[in-house]
Amino acid sequence: MGRKLFLELENCIGCRSCLAACTQCGGHDQRNRNYVLDVNPFVNRQTMPLMCLHCVNPACARSCPAQAIQIHETGAVLSALVEKCIGCQNCTISCPYGIPKFDVEQNLMYKCDLCIDRTKDDIPPMCASVCPSNTLQWLTEEEIAEKQQQHEMENGKWVTSMPYLESETNVKINLPGILQGKEKLF
Amino acid sequence: MQEVRETPVAKKYNLDGAFASHFAKSMFLTVSGLFILSLIGTRMFTHIDLNLYGYMVGTLVFLGGFFYRFIAWGERPPAKLILKKGIKLLGRRSTPKTSVEHLATYKFIWNRGIFRWTQHFLIGWGCILSCLVTFPLVFGWMYFTMEENGYYTVVALGMDIMKVDAEGWIAYLFYNALNITAFMVIAGVCMALYRRLKNMQARAEQTFMYDFMPLYLLLFISITGLLLTFSNVFLHGFGQPTMSLIHQFSVIVTLIYLPFGKLAHIPFRPMSVFARNYREHYSEQSMKECRVCQSEFVSTEQSKDVIDVLGQNHLQFEKEEGFHLAELCPPCRRKYRISRFSGIPTHEIKVKEANQNAKG
Ligand code: SF4
Ligand code: SF4
Repeated sequence: MGRKLFLELENCIGCRSCLAACTQCGGHDQRNRNYVLDVNPFVNRQTMPLMCLHCVNPACARSCPAQAIQIHETGAVLSALVEKCIGCQNCTISCPYGIPKFDVEQNLMYKCDLCIDRTKDDIPPMCASVCPSNTLQWLTEEEIAEKQQQHEMENGKWVTSMPYLESETNVKINLPGILQGKEKLF
Repeated sequence: MQEVRETPVAKKYNLDGAFASHFAKSMFLTVSGLFILSLIGTRMFTHIDLNLYGYMVGTLVFLGGFFYRFIAWGERPPAKLILKKGIKLLGRRSTPKTSVEHLATYKFIWNRGIFRWTQHFLIGWGCILSCLVTFPLVFGWMYFTMEENGYYTVVALGMDIMKVDAEGWIAYLFYNALNITAFMVIAGVCMALYRRLKNMQARAEQTFMYDFMPLYLLLFISITGLLLTFSNVFLHGFGQPTMSLIHQFSVIVTLIYLPFGKLAHIPFRPMSVFARNYREHYSEQSMKECRVCQSEFVSTEQSKDVIDVLGQNHLQFEKEEGFHLAELCPPCRRKYRISRFSGIPTHEIKVKEANQNAKG
């Protein structure tokens, strides 16, 4: 039990399959909750996905006055409970990565819930299921540890997640040295 | 030091000093209020219907639970802010309109789906109307006296309000109000149950205790209530005393449970009016410009409040560039993160995020 989402950012080819897959997750109401961003649009075509990183101490939930953002036992930080969200949008302001979206008409916040109906049974989330380039992977703790060992090189050039994130997160990230002119050695 | 010495002195001279806690104060004021209203309503307790005292006890327990939950909730930093500023802003001219949309017509639920709205409207108004009929009777704020000439006198808060023809349609509505609302609630609950059985997403997430219990409780109340009428009308009151006890029991259990489960969103909903006022008021005052792209994205006040609340939770997002992340608009915050990953100052490249909305 307990696989986690792992991102190898530099693999992203910008196909946006993850966005399309996100719209199809149960309860997502045909709207995607993740992002694919151009890194250096006037220079090259490199893209990177960005989604909720499921912080261990989530700013969104801490700033929610209505306790509408619940943390699932798997560590996933869920979307706002429809009956509790009072529409203050604190969460959209507090998230350090700008993830939660807000529907003004419905007076309701919605964000990545790590496809909780799938991941609670250890089925990969929609985005990781469809990613053709292995940017989004669904891995066990051991596999992630192994990756991290590979990436955390002694010269400090390849690192995972911290310190490039604000705090500990459940989604782990491998930082792309390639874009910073460093070579991938494996 | 100064502060510590001052507090007890200040306390002695205001109302708060008289109570052991917020909870004690709220409870005392509310119960006293109810008592005084009942005193007036029943003309010094000469017209009290003691058959209904079970409901009275249930209400008091409910109030205890409600204040307990509400005060525990209000202690959290973000809740405290909204509460404090929300109360101050209740005088806004838009408050009545917002309140009607949020608390009476449920416009935002309509936008979430018509099925959902219908179900909420039926259950919500079924419950509100039932309470409006039941509680005044329980606390003796309203009662009826029968006169010789076939007319009822409606007495509200000790004053004769109107005379109604015992055979007329107003009287008919009075007798049957609770039957009508029971049917509304039953219809709404059936819709909700249907959704919970058919909708795949609901099926994946729901739990018995959180999602089904409240529905069954409402059903329990409505059906036992209707059975009371049934036994009166068709069985000449057969089984009425037992049924009445079961019905009271169902109401009391629901009242006690209400502040703790899913139904707690009913008494908490007025907070959304507070939130709307808070956003509207401070947006009119001054808007915060994104520290990167200069677009206005939130009120200055809210940006400041969020930074405060995050600080109280030991979340410090000050960056070496000299801004706090909550001072960036969400798109710039996303680009800023990409720049942290890649080493390229993506957030400073003036291009809009492209192709973000996949069409399902
Ligand atoms: S990344 Fe943002 S939305 Fe996701 S858990 Fe953290 S603070 Fe909340
Ligand atoms: S918008 Fe909703 S989920 Fe977000 S902080 Fe406000 S109440 Fe909580």
